Amino acid sequence: MIRAQNIHKYFGALHVLRGINLDVQKGDVLVIIGPSGSGKSTLLRCINMLVPPDEGDVFIDGVKVTSPEIRPEWVREQVGMVFQSYNLFTHLTALQNVTLALRKVKRWDDERANRRGRELLAQVGLAAKEDAYPAQLSGGQQQRIAIARALATDPKAVLFDEPTSALDPEYIKEVLDAMTDLARAGMTMIVVSHEMGFAKGVASRVLFMDHGVVLEEGTPGEVFESPKEERTRSFIGKVLR
Amino acid sequence: MEASRSRRYASFAGRTLVRIGLAILGGFGFLLILQNEIQYNIFDAVFLSTFARLLFSGVMNTLFFMGIVIPTGIVIGFVTGWARVSKYKFLSYPATAYVDVIRGIPLIVLVLFAYFFGPFIVPGLFGFTDVGKFFAALALALHTGAYQAEIFRAGFQSVPKGQLEAAVAVGLTRGQAVGYVVMPQMFRLILPALANELASVAKDTSFLSIIGAMELFGNARSGTQIAIYNFGRLDWVFGLWTITALLYLLLTLALSKSLQHVERRYLVPGLGSVSA
Repeated sequence: MIRAQNIHKYFGALHVLRGINLDVQKGDVLVIIGPSGSGKSTLLRCINMLVPPDEGDVFIDGVKVTSPEIRPEWVREQVGMVFQSYNLFTHLTALQNVTLALRKVKRWDDERANRRGRELLAQVGLAAKEDAYPAQLSGGQQQRIAIARALATDPKAVLFDEPTSALDPEYIKEVLDAMTDLARAGMTMIVVSHEMGFAKGVASRVLFMDHGVVLEEGTPGEVFESPKEERTRSFIGKVLR
Repeated sequence: MEASRSRRYASFAGRTLVRIGLAILGGFGFLLILQNEIQYNIFDAVFLSTFARLLFSGVMNTLFFMGIVIPTGIVIGFVTGWARVSKYKFLSYPATAYVDVIRGIPLIVLVLFAYFFGPFIVPGLFGFTDVGKFFAALALALHTGAYQAEIFRAGFQSVPKGQLEAAVAVGLTRGQAVGYVVMPQMFRLILPALANELASVAKDTSFLSIIGAMELFGNARSGTQIAIYNFGRLDWVFGLWTITALLYLLLTLALSKSLQHVERRYLVPGLGSVSA
C-alpha cells in the first residue's frame, strides 16, 4: 500500500533522512518511535509530499508519487494527515473544517459536502459540535475534528504526527480511542507516537528511528519487550514509565 | 443564527448613527458657545453663502482624493507586504528597500517631489488636466502603501505556518490554501491596524493643499483669507475651522465605523472581540 525506497532528505547541510525503507500493507498500523530530531515527522511529510524527498521514491498503491507527473495535491487526497498541534482552521466551524477539501478540492455542492461532513463528525463523536469554532473546543475535541478532516477525502491511509503530545493528559484517551476505532475499521495508518499502550494494542509493527535511519523494526512485542539494539533499549527505558 | 446576526448589525448601525449624531450636536454646541463668547453668528446668511460652497467642494475633493489614495494604497501595501515575506530575494529585497526609503522621507517632501518631477517623467496621463496633482496623489498612495506593507507583512507572519501546511495537507493547492485559509485569518488580524492607517490617510490628504489641490484643508485656508481680507471678520475664522474639523471628524468616523463593520464580519467566536 505505502512503500518508501531509500529516502534521503537534507535541510541545508543537515542530513535528516539517510536512506529510509518502508513497506506498509493495506490495513497495517505502523507506529514509529524515536528521539526528537530523528526524522520521524520529516519521513511522514515525505510520504504525502509536503516535504518532497531529495532522493528515493514513495509508492502509494503502486503509483510512484515522487514522480514529477503526479500532482502533489492528488497525493494528499490519497493520504490524510493529523498534526501534533491539530492545526484546525481557526476561522471555520468544525463542520466547515471537515468539508473544506470536499467543497474546494472535490468541488462538491454544500449539501453533499455537509452530509458527508456530519457523518464524519458523528464518527468521531462530535456531531453536536458542528457549529463550534476551534477556539471554543477542548484540545481533545479539536484533535478528533482534525481526524474527521483528514478522513474527508476518503483517503487510502492516514498519517499521524504525534497526535497526542500537545494534549492535556485528560484528553489523550478520547483521541487514542478514535484512532483505535479507525484502525479496527481497517484503515492503513502510520503513527508517530510514544503512546506505548496504543502501540502495543493496535500496531501491527513498530519501527525505531534514530539519526535519520531505521534502527530496528518488528512487532510491538519484539521491539518493546526484547529490543536487539542498545540504543532502542535505552530509549524505551526512558520513555516507558 | 442569521436573525441574531442581522439584529446585531442593526443595533450596531443604530449606535453608530447615534454617535455621529452626538458628534454633530457637540460641534454645534461648541459653535453656539463661540457665538455667545465672541458674538458671531454662523447662521449669518453672508457667512453661509460665502463658505458653504467652498466647504462643500472641499469635502468633495477630499473624498475624491481619498477615493484614489485609499484603494491604491491598499493594493500597494498588500502586494509589497506579500513581497516582503516572499522567499524569493528578487521580490523581498526591492520591497524592503521601498518601505525603508518611503518611510524615511517626510510625506510633504514626497508630495512636492512627485508634483514637480512626475510630469517630467510621464507628461499627460489619462487626460488629467493637472498631471502634477495626479502624481502628488500617487505619492500619498505610495507613502501609505509603505506603512500598510508593514501591516500586511505582520499579518501574513502572524498566521501560524501550521495553517498553510494543514490546508495543503487536505489537498488544496497553495493558491487555494492562501486564499481560503491564510488570507481570511490575516485580514481578521490586521483590520484594527489597517483602520488606524486609513484614518491617518484620510486626514493626510490635507497635505495635497500645498500643491494647490482644492480639498477641504486648502479651501478652509482660502476661506480664512476671504474672511479676514474681504470681510474683516476674525470671528468667522473660528466658525470656519470648527466646521472644517467637524467635517474631517465625520469623514474619518464614517471610514472607521465601516471598517469596524468589516471587523465584525470577520469575528470568530472564541477568538478575541471587537470594541463596541
